[in-house]
Amino acid sequence: MSSQPTLVTENLVKHFRAGGNATVHAVNGVSFSISPGETLGMVGESGSGKSTIGRTVLRLLSPTAGRILFQGRDISTLPERQCRSLRAEMQMVFQDPWSALNPRLRARALIEEPLLLHSGLGRAERRDKVEALAARVRLGSALLERFPSELSGGQLQRVCIARAIATEPKLIVLDEPTSSLDLSVRAGILELLHELKQETGAAMLFISHDLGTLRLISDRIVVLYLGSVVESGPTRAIFERPEHPYTQALMSAHLPADPTVALSRHVLKGEIPSPINLPPGCGFASRCPLAIERCRAAMPPLAPVPGDNHHAACIRIAEGANRIPA
Amino acid sequence: MATPLLDVRDLHTHFIARNLDNEIRTARALNGVSFSLDGGKILGLVGETGAGKSLTALSVMGLLRPPARVVAGQVLFEGRDLIAMPPEEVNRLRGARMAMVVQSPKSSLDPLSRIGEQLVRVQRAHDPALGQAEATARAVAMLEAVGIPDPQRRARAWPHELSGGMAQRVLIALALVNQPRLLIADEPTTGLDVTVQAQILDLFRELVLANGIGAIIITHDLGVVAHYCDDVAVMFAGTIIEHGPVAAVFGQPAHPYTRALIASTPERLVIGRTRTTGAPPPNLYALPTGCLYRDRCPHAAPDCAEPPPGRAMGAGHIAHCHFAGRLAEHAA
Repeated sequence: MSSQPTLVTENLVKHFRAGGNATVHAVNGVSFSISPGETLGMVGESGSGKSTIGRTVLRLLSPTAGRILFQGRDISTLPERQCRSLRAEMQMVFQDPWSALNPRLRARALIEEPLLLHSGLGRAERRDKVEALAARVRLGSALLERFPSELSGGQLQRVCIARAIATEPKLIVLDEPTSSLDLSVRAGILELLHELKQETGAAMLFISHDLGTLRLISDRIVVLYLGSVVESGPTRAIFERPEHPYTQALMSAHLPADPTVALSRHVLKGEIPSPINLPPGCGFASRCPLAIERCRAAMPPLAPVPGDNHHAACIRIAEGANRIPA
Repeated sequence: MATPLLDVRDLHTHFIARNLDNEIRTARALNGVSFSLDGGKILGLVGETGAGKSLTALSVMGLLRPPARVVAGQVLFEGRDLIAMPPEEVNRLRGARMAMVVQSPKSSLDPLSRIGEQLVRVQRAHDPALGQAEATARAVAMLEAVGIPDPQRRARAWPHELSGGMAQRVLIALALVNQPRLLIADEPTTGLDVTVQAQILDLFRELVLANGIGAIIITHDLGVVAHYCDDVAVMFAGTIIEHGPVAAVFGQPAHPYTRALIASTPERLVIGRTRTTGAPPPNLYALPTGCLYRDRCPHAAPDCAEPPPGRAMGAGHIAHCHFAGRLAEHAA
């Protein structure tokens, strides 16, 4: 595997202007990297900044501060015109395939669109390529003549994935790609994404709030809370030894679809605070059962914890006081 | 045996409309739904989009709008058939003896009334003799019961000031303030964050058990069913294909559809094993005879052209499949 990561973010910050003088602190200094052929799962609740990060690394949004390195090249301040040519190499799949596709184009034209923009292929070649892509995402060729309104949610998401892989991108950002799909359909899409990752070696950023899905598809996981990374590490370590109290609470709130699995419940009180008035110190302190005065003083740094490449941002770990009692 | 709180018998709901050529077209959305529910129990109703979960709830509650209507069957609520009852009488029961919590909390509250006023209104609609002060006191007590901090002050809040979790708590308060016997919650936690989902489901179960309410949770999340429901009914194409205690259905699913459904949960799914993708559900305008799952079923055989009988798999566990109990253990 090549040593250079496909995507690196360094202290990525994204703020939005809200009404008046208010500022929404959506992303507050997030650093991570994804290697070729790796799937990074990004989990967080609404308001954690995960979708904003997905859009910012593709430069659909411009970062307020920090750097985005795509294949070693800093694209954080690249002008929009040059971003456009870059998009052949970085693609996105959205949550809601019903609104992501032009309702007036047939599936064939939808899949051909990125080829028209980026490939320079002739008509016959494009036609062959569209058929090959449809076959690759297991979309029957008869369905290519249909309009989005005539396709099911799973079929539409296959069209979206075919579009995303059409230009053979190095990076694919998937923002909740299976959340709107029925269980059996979701399973098929996850299978497909897994195969594509192995075949194409593309790096994937998989954004989801569903821990069960992330466990299946991710090599590593980044846990976000209020625009900051609270924990990151290999999928197994995150599930088996969550260190940050928020990750522990998130894991225990997950309901496995198996009644024989006993739940160890640490039900959190309250909800994620508003990103408009960020509390000083640890963003999770207002809901954390282990918070002490010092947690509210300064933002805890993301520090290594025992295990391979496993990091967490909680000052109570060093004290050995980071386990939420059952 | 005592009369169940709710006893739905062979419920058929059709959408009957004319097409552009003025021909009558009938979509057979519910095709003989039967189940019963006792007080203090939670039934999970699961199935894919279009299987008829929400339509079952709307049919039971008498909330269908044309062109949908119940064409056959009975809904016995405390022994009385709601389908045969005059609509005014159902109106008196709905919101009082039976209540519903719908999916999108933010769009289900009246945006122009404070939440306290809405809680007062729903009480006085069913009990005009109730005084304002008493209704207000009960509204505040109800907000407290659903875990809303500072309920006195929160009663004066507008819906737009509430977070999603708080709005869902208010909807539960609205449903429970008249002390119903039956509560139907349609996707009560979809769209809420997982840590908030846990709070709402804990609250829901606590209130249901404490008050001996019979509850139905409609969901596509099998995790919710596994941990919060007593019984589960699996729907496919407007019928219940398997029904039974949660432990039995998850432990020994007998219908091929239930097996496929459970096998596609993230916990059971094995990535890398090729599988066929779910075929589209049957066309409700032209349903086949016999087993409605036939076209998608890997075990379909000539017998399946006949309607499948309900086969008892164990205490209260029934699967509607010719081959229930005779399929190989591992075949999903």
